[in-house]
Amino acid sequence: MLHRLALAAATALLWLAVLLPAPAGAADALVIDKALSLNAAASAGPSPPPFTAAALPVTLPDTWDETRPRFEGSVWYRANFDRPAGTSAQELLGLYIERVCTNVEVYLNGQRIASGGRMSEPVTRNCHYPQLVTLPAALVHDQANVLELQVQGHALQRVASRLRAGGLSALKIAPLEQLAPEHASRLFWSISAAQIVAVMLAVMGGVMLGLAWMNRREVYLGYFGALALSWAVVSARLWWRDLPWDNGVTEFLICVAHAPIAAFAIQFLLSHADLRSRWIESALLMQCVLVPATLLIAGPNRLFVLSGLWYVLMVLEIGAVAALHLVVSWRRKRHEFWPMGALLAAALALLLFAIGGSHGPLAITPLPLMPIIVPLLFIGMSSRLLMVFARALRAAEEGRQSLEARIGQVTAEIEQNFAQLAELRVEQVTEKERKRIAGDLHDDLGAKLLTIVHTSESERISTLAREALEEMRLSVRGLTGKPMRLADALADWRAETVLRLGQANIEADWRSPPEETDQLLPARGFVQTTRILREAVSNIIKHSGASHCKVRCTISVGQFGLTVQDNGKGIPMELDGKLDRGHGMSSMKHRAKQMQGQCLVESGPGYGTVIRLTLPL
Amino acid sequence: MNNILLLEDLPEIRSWLQVLIKQVFPDAHIHEAARVHDALGLVSAVKFQLALCDLGLPDGSGVDVVAALREHQPECQSVVVTIHDDDDHLFPALQAGAFGYLLKEQARELIAEQLKRMSAGEPPLSPSIARRVISHFAAQTRQQERPQNMPHVALTDRENEVLLRVAKGFTLPEIGVQLNLSRHTIADYVKQIYRKLNVSSRAEAALEAQRLGLFRRA
Repeated sequence: MLHRLALAAATALLWLAVLLPAPAGAADALVIDKALSLNAAASAGPSPPPFTAAALPVTLPDTWDETRPRFEGSVWYRANFDRPAGTSAQELLGLYIERVCTNVEVYLNGQRIASGGRMSEPVTRNCHYPQLVTLPAALVHDQANVLELQVQGHALQRVASRLRAGGLSALKIAPLEQLAPEHASRLFWSISAAQIVAVMLAVMGGVMLGLAWMNRREVYLGYFGALALSWAVVSARLWWRDLPWDNGVTEFLICVAHAPIAAFAIQFLLSHADLRSRWIESALLMQCVLVPATLLIAGPNRLFVLSGLWYVLMVLEIGAVAALHLVVSWRRKRHEFWPMGALLAAALALLLFAIGGSHGPLAITPLPLMPIIVPLLFIGMSSRLLMVFARALRAAEEGRQSLEARIGQVTAEIEQNFAQLAELRVEQVTEKERKRIAGDLHDDLGAKLLTIVHTSESERISTLAREALEEMRLSVRGLTGKPMRLADALADWRAETVLRLGQANIEADWRSPPEETDQLLPARGFVQTTRILREAVSNIIKHSGASHCKVRCTISVGQFGLTVQDNGKGIPMELDGKLDRGHGMSSMKHRAKQMQGQCLVESGPGYGTVIRLTLPL
Repeated sequence: MNNILLLEDLPEIRSWLQVLIKQVFPDAHIHEAARVHDALGLVSAVKFQLALCDLGLPDGSGVDVVAALREHQPECQSVVVTIHDDDDHLFPALQAGAFGYLLKEQARELIAEQLKRMSAGEPPLSPSIARRVISHFAAQTRQQERPQNMPHVALTDRENEVLLRVAKGFTLPEIGVQLNLSRHTIADYVKQIYRKLNVSSRAEAALEAQRLGLFRRA
């Protein structure tokens, strides 16, 4: 977006530049385009010399290279003029000189009325400054005023640009207020605009250098920053008038400074296309050394030719690298091809145009567009670079964020999986260990008890061993068993109880709730209840002498009840009035307590026994 | 009863069981084995009428012997003699074709009685085993994609009825009274249930093996 704005701004400036000077010439200004010129002798003083026959009539604008080739020094111009028509004696008149190079002093009717600065080396450099001189009303006659100008200038051969070679444009005399806007406009476009743009460019270059410093991988930002900064510095040639050294040094420095600028441009284009060549880098360094070296060897009189050759060479180099860059971006980054292509084409065209103006046959442009438009192109380019960079930065940031989110997600997943695995593993290990213990119990203890059961001579011992075996099995079941449905447990109990009572010829009457229940009984609860029931049934079979046994099961909310009643002879009382412990009553009660339940035994001689077991569910 | 296989690794128990078998079947010739390997060798050599197999043996499980007998001597009755009374241990043996089970620690008279009954064709059926059988057949019925070659084994309504009542804790004689059936009829139902359990389990195992690629279709 930014680079489009910059392009639009550049186009607007171009149009303004073309349009603005047009109305200035429309007024009834007096334009002097013919004058006598006289090359001043080196020893001549600061006052106007007499114009002898040696004086040369010239047409303004006068270009020294055409009228006095290789002349270096001071030239006097003389022209006569009458007060412009339609102006009164009171009206303040002005003299407007669009271009005078390098410096000028103005005399009116023999009186020195204006000076552009130092007339001897280092001469004040006024080539880009339009001059507006106020003509003192007292000195201006109605007719036959003599205007004399001393112009200090340099031969074309000793400067690096035609724009800074000696010369004088046409002179314009008109009321001051009419000339002032024209002068201001010209001054703005040739100096102020260039200064503003140079400052912008310098700031931009600094920003780019900073960015490159922070992001070492984006080398091209650094090269572009250096390019922009150095261009901004070199553009000081336009407005810096009073330098501490003479013209030869200044022109030499200007010419030399173009070598690093070209190097920066080439390196920028290469690194932006992700290319790098040690060979090109060393060649560029060599060029930066060769330019001053050749200039020094050739001497100041060949500066113009040599600098022209170097400029052309540099532009060709940049053009070649730009073409390479475009080829690469066409292949790799198609979306960058068109904006870069447009910017590079415009920049190259302008550079060629500039060389044409400064060294070639192209006429001096009415305004120095180069120093304004090329930097604007630079700014467009840099804003594009910044935009691409910002976009990449944002993409990287987004990528980083999504990566972070993904990592967090994956970490959470892994943790969850790990927790699940650990849980599963614990379960598996526990289950395996339980199975192992159960297997060991069966194989070792079980086998030994079994041997006792079947080999013991004593019935009592084999019965004890059998009971121990049953106990062991129940324990193992409590150890490894899963919770079972209460309905299933009731079925198991019923089958066993009815079978045992039937085998003992005792009539069994078992009633449990007919409706299905989904209540679960923990393995331990099942095992303990099985023991209690088994014990109760054993007691009935062994001791009670009953002929009938009633079992009732009740399931209410949170509670399970089991009542076993027989019609036997009951449990005999001890001396202390308590029930006989030998019948396993205490172990039944103990087991019930372990399950937070209770086991009540009611018995009396002659009316049987009732065992009431209640358990929480 | 001519030939009886006795597979038991503990010598005391084995001799004790031998005495017991002699009591019940005085004419029988008892072939003893202490290991699965020996038992399988006997199965391929001798024709048995009855086999008493322990489950946990040093070189494997008695279930393999039960399965081999079922495969090669279908008329032989296999009875599991074990210390494990839980259906986790018993059910695989029943699926493999065992016709009943004896718990080792039971009194001699009780075991003798049960053995007599089984050889007379009256196998026992506990509620927990009945529940396992019920859920086995329920799972088979649920399976939607039944291959064409797999025989569909289903229980009759009467068999189901008997199973359900056993699962609820009623004893076989009680069920006989409830359904107004003779003791022999009930015993026949139970035998049928065992037989169908074996057949459907074998089909299932074959299907599972096919699914796992153990057999290749010709």
